[in-house]
Amino acid sequence: MNAHDELLDLVAVYALGALPAQDAAHVREHMAICPECSREYARLQPAVDAVARSAEACTDPRNGAVPSELLKARIMKTVRAEAAPRPASAKSRTLWPAYAVAAAAMLIAMFATVLSMMMQSDLRQSREEVSSLTHQLAGEKKYEAAQRIMIADLMSTDAKRYPVSDGEVVRKGERLYIAMHTMPMPPKGRVYQSWTLAAGAKAMTPGPTFMPDKAGIAIVHVPQSAATLAAVAVSVEPEGGSKSPTSKPEFVVKLI
Amino acid sequence: MERVRERDAAAFEGLYDAYHRLVYGIALRVLADTAAAEDVTQAVFLKLWSSPQSYVRGNFGGWISRVTRNRALDVLRGRTAHSGAELPEAVAVDGAMEEAVLANLDAVEVRAALRRLPEDQREPIELGFFSGITHQEIAARTGTPLGTIKTRIRSGLRKLRADLRGTVAL
Repeated sequence: MNAHDELLDLVAVYALGALPAQDAAHVREHMAICPECSREYARLQPAVDAVARSAEACTDPRNGAVPSELLKARIMKTVRAEAAPRPASAKSRTLWPAYAVAAAAMLIAMFATVLSMMMQSDLRQSREEVSSLTHQLAGEKKYEAAQRIMIADLMSTDAKRYPVSDGEVVRKGERLYIAMHTMPMPPKGRVYQSWTLAAGAKAMTPGPTFMPDKAGIAIVHVPQSAATLAAVAVSVEPEGGSKSPTSKPEFVVKLI
Repeated sequence: MERVRERDAAAFEGLYDAYHRLVYGIALRVLADTAAAEDVTQAVFLKLWSSPQSYVRGNFGGWISRVTRNRALDVLRGRTAHSGAELPEAVAVDGAMEEAVLANLDAVEVRAALRRLPEDQREPIELGFFSGITHQEIAARTGTPLGTIKTRIRSGLRKLRADLRGTVAL
């Protein structure tokens, strides 16, 4: 072995980190002027790093030979306390390229349009429902008011009453009622029908058909003004009513 | 590393996740003490965070290995009042080649290659690297002539390099 071979051996020891400081300085000075030794060092350095790398294999999670999570937490606590704040927009720019933003905007616009159409349709439907309910409510209110008036008229002490079989005809001002309280059920397929005779008229005008309830009670509001009528009558008629009486009247009440 | 220099905590965490086992493994091998190895690991990574400029270029794994070894040996010498050799942390070598090598080395494969070395070559290499003693102390401890130790270290490193060449290009 010549002197230079000995130097190459020293280069290997230096690369391993096992050379005393003074000898290491001499080797560095020599490598600076010796390409062969410098190349040898470059060739051996990765092998030394490989020796270091072999120690990683000693850290086996199966036998617990790994640093604890607390170690990482301690380190990262210090690091995060000193870290530069990250601009919030930088990440979002990275995650949302322009085409994705455009696609998202288009989807949102389409969704908004569909939603708007649905809402308009719902709104239109709701308005129709409100209108229908308002109309229904008005009708119910009108009916309820008529019922209240009818009850008041029937109970009124100053109403004019015309007794008939099983009930009475009640006149209160221009309003006229047929009020039955023990009226028998008509034969099967038949109904009761009211009739009116206008003043000066020769023929009866057909009025509403009706049926008593199980207790024999029936109340009919005669639509015409009592002031214009000469008489009111009730007869038994086929279901659906008749245009002129087909049977002898149950009763006829003359109002004049 | 560029992002770590810009104080990016997420980038630093990525480095920690990639290299903490290597750092801890070297410290544990040198010190044979888990608590002391964790202290060294913490010191190495916080030094990296506080002085990222200390890493200049080349293979990061090799650099942090040398930093760790030196730090662990400082702790060991503090216990034993021993003075020995240190690895130069910044080494002037072919960074690209070294980078490719270390990036592809598998710790288990490397350890297996190390074990395939003849005992009289592997022993001085491991003593020199992990015990931090000089080649003269190795010679004295093993009862081997100094010249023989130097030659065995060089031969062993060359053989290890050649062995790993089958796995990665050294």
